[in-house]
Amino acid sequence: MFASRRRRGLSQLAAPFYWARPALALLLTSTLALNAPARGADFAAAADQVQTRTLANGLQIIVWPVHNIPNIVLYNWVRVGSRNESTGATGLAHFFEHMMFNGTTDHPKGDFERLLGEAGGSSNANTRKDVTVFQDWLPRSALETVLMLESDRIAHLAFVPEVVENERKVVYSERRLRVEDSAPALLSEQLEAVALLAHPYRIPTIGWPSDIQSWTLADLENFYHTFYAPNNCTLVIVGDVEPAQLFALIERYFGAIPRGALPEPVRTREPEQLGERRLQLHRVAETGLVQVMYPAISAADPRQPALDLLQMVLTGGESSRLHRALVEERRLAIEVESDWSEGLDPSLLGFYATLAEGASSAQFEQALEQELERVVHDGISDAELARAKRQSLVAFWRGVTTLDGRAELLGEYALMHGDYRLLFSAPAGLERVSASDVQAVAQQILNPLHRTVGELVPDAAGAQR
Amino acid sequence: MNARMAFGLLRGALLGLCLATTGIALGADSLAAPNVAMPTTVRVTLANGLKLIMVPRHELPLLAIEAVLRGGARVQEPSQAGVAALTAELLARGAGARDAYAFTDALEDAGGSLGASADNESLRVSGQFLAGDETLMLDLLGDMLLRPRFEAAEFEKLRDRRIEGLRAAKDSEPQALLGDYAHALLFAGHPFAEPVGGSESTLATLKPDDVTRYYHEQFGPERTTLVIAGDFDPGHMRLAVEKVFASWPRLGRPLPPLPAPQRRHGRRVFLIDSPGSTQTYFWLGNVGVARNYPARAALNIADVAFGGGPLNSILNTELREKRGLTYSIYCYFVRGTVPGEFAISSFVRTEDTARALETTLDTLEALHKDGLDGTQVNAARNYILGQYPLAFQSAGDWAETFADLDFFAFPISRISGYGSELLRVQPRDIARVIADAFPQSADLDLVLIGDAAKIRAAVAKFGPVSEKSLSAPDYSPPARP
Repeated sequence: MFASRRRRGLSQLAAPFYWARPALALLLTSTLALNAPARGADFAAAADQVQTRTLANGLQIIVWPVHNIPNIVLYNWVRVGSRNESTGATGLAHFFEHMMFNGTTDHPKGDFERLLGEAGGSSNANTRKDVTVFQDWLPRSALETVLMLESDRIAHLAFVPEVVENERKVVYSERRLRVEDSAPALLSEQLEAVALLAHPYRIPTIGWPSDIQSWTLADLENFYHTFYAPNNCTLVIVGDVEPAQLFALIERYFGAIPRGALPEPVRTREPEQLGERRLQLHRVAETGLVQVMYPAISAADPRQPALDLLQMVLTGGESSRLHRALVEERRLAIEVESDWSEGLDPSLLGFYATLAEGASSAQFEQALEQELERVVHDGISDAELARAKRQSLVAFWRGVTTLDGRAELLGEYALMHGDYRLLFSAPAGLERVSASDVQAVAQQILNPLHRTVGELVPDAAGAQR
Repeated sequence: MNARMAFGLLRGALLGLCLATTGIALGADSLAAPNVAMPTTVRVTLANGLKLIMVPRHELPLLAIEAVLRGGARVQEPSQAGVAALTAELLARGAGARDAYAFTDALEDAGGSLGASADNESLRVSGQFLAGDETLMLDLLGDMLLRPRFEAAEFEKLRDRRIEGLRAAKDSEPQALLGDYAHALLFAGHPFAEPVGGSESTLATLKPDDVTRYYHEQFGPERTTLVIAGDFDPGHMRLAVEKVFASWPRLGRPLPPLPAPQRRHGRRVFLIDSPGSTQTYFWLGNVGVARNYPARAALNIADVAFGGGPLNSILNTELREKRGLTYSIYCYFVRGTVPGEFAISSFVRTEDTARALETTLDTLEALHKDGLDGTQVNAARNYILGQYPLAFQSAGDWAETFADLDFFAFPISRISGYGSELLRVQPRDIARVIADAFPQSADLDLVLIGDAAKIRAAVAKFGPVSEKSLSAPDYSPPARP
């Protein structure tokens, strides 16, 4: 999920909790203030529907039975991302995301998609800084096929040189699409590497070009054996399943895969930033860009709900502060967004702007700084806090509407926050945040000495790219 | 970083397909049609012609709304491309008693959303609110549709931002512009030739009066359907809708007929020059089929197998899996009340441009020559049967589904009969659909965004080439000599 500009998507789908009607009636009477206790209580009760199991080989399983459609969503969360990479071997986690579709010793390349498709299933995967997530969407009848295929590729991945070389070209094509032909993505990639000196979050998830071109087969095999072991995986399954039957099936297909030696922990901590850093990037372009990053917090940090609300106040919707001030009022930008991706370690909070015609990056930067100073010094109003909570809550409900949304959130809470149960207290946690909590997190993160500023300077066509 | 990117597109395609409630297994290898519970609906037509479709769903405390106005971009003046889209976006920027800021504040204070946009044949407002906010939701929507302010300052701000947004897209996602260039070429002389969002040059000529005129000539209750899904009481909702919308006077102007675009013969190449680009983005297409195409189940199977579906589609196998030419290649049909395009699209290294185009053309030719075998048909069929229930989960999904059925005047059996229709498809149906709906490789427009200096000579063999610069402010191919 590279270069996503917002917190990762909860978006799309839908599926029922069967809300108790009295509680719902309470909800309908609530106005601006949330009726948090009623909602929190109902949602918290839904946690009892979730069941977990850990196999003897360390494979963790989280199941949420939901029977509204005859389908199942399975996410295999593998604890490896670009955070686990090192110089010379960047992009390997992402490359493996691709290789996992390319055949095993039992099933040659093409079998995975063919068998899955014939059973009515589909799949995809994504690689992030901390994790790689393999996703399957299937009709209930395909469950056993999918478990067979997922266990097979965890245990028996094949390394065929021609297949590796072909996939290297595919990945480079992806890099050209996502990074090299996209000015905002190219600027973000380089800016992250400037904002962080030491921590591996500075590594682009797709990999540096020279690394993509030079990984060896030995690098790949070593990486696979280090990270693809059952005790480094969490299966999250949501949908039309009976947990007892499911656990037995998973035991049958995954139980015999041996436990692996767990990878070395990531030890590097980013040293404190002692002054502003700047980056300029020249490129043939129609419009200027400014991006500003600050070291922030980890997903498990108790300040996380306050940071979410701070982002909502600053860039959530057209009533947000930065949109009003910089896009509508001063017309310095055509859009301003923020992003903070939840990580195991403290990650960057970024602001991303596409400049309006005639606006200089210096003008934009100064105006952004004024707005950030204002939230640091004066905090936010009660009305802003209430609005941000309400917006966050709608986004949250929409997130838990679908099988996909639930699989994403359960995994995110289990791996990033440390316990899937925290998902069920998230609405209540949001409600507890005060305006002064939001101001405090703004004061702690938005320190001018911790800022890294990137600017894309458009060159005219014909100049050197 | 995803293993593939065509998936989102596929999900969209599946959404148009719909549900089955009965299972008729015809072959040992076929899945049964999935049983997806159809929600009940409550339907009302107001005296002024406005249609209301209510879909009560009480699982979550959410409301979803879809307002669809028939018309859209195809009824705007060709020289005013973008006016429908701009009108849509301006609806929420000041309406009724609220100016632009007050309107957004009222909406976002409630955590609600109301996004308006135009497409070729309609203008749509889609929204989500917390349950219990129906009065506010209808109040805001009523102001948008009945009392928009269209203030000059807001108009100017939005128009300029749209122009700058188009320029920014050239730096960040050139592939997003392919369709606009392709439509200008393929549909020349037809309303579909004009970019829905406008071009830098048409937007620059628009005035606030143009938006007001479009509104007065094209907005009316008899062209409008409201679909509301989610946690509400239909009796109360009906009264609330009547209170807001009963006073909306009829427009009294029938929609003009929309001619069907005609399929082209022969090949043309339209090359958009992006100096220094590391790759070529390409689009190969011709006119396809309409939404009411009778053999839609066979069509969807052939589409999924060829390039509209999973990673092992025929196109993806040939270009990505066998040759490593691209991260993704896919095909799609745009199917409105009249045919839009069938197209194949991808991106490849500049130096691979000609080879990739050749492979793509050969692959389409092979589809016509060899058709699909039984295994491919069954795999594609099972894939659709297994996946499409996922498109019907949220209140928003159902609001969109019923809006779509209403727009095309399809009966509910479009949904309830889909699974059994898929199971009835025979090999001869597939062969007929391929011959009928998929253009021949000799009859394609080829639209390329890439470094012209490096690929100009290599692509000349595919057809007569016309060229344009990516920095030009519009999408039209140069006039032919």
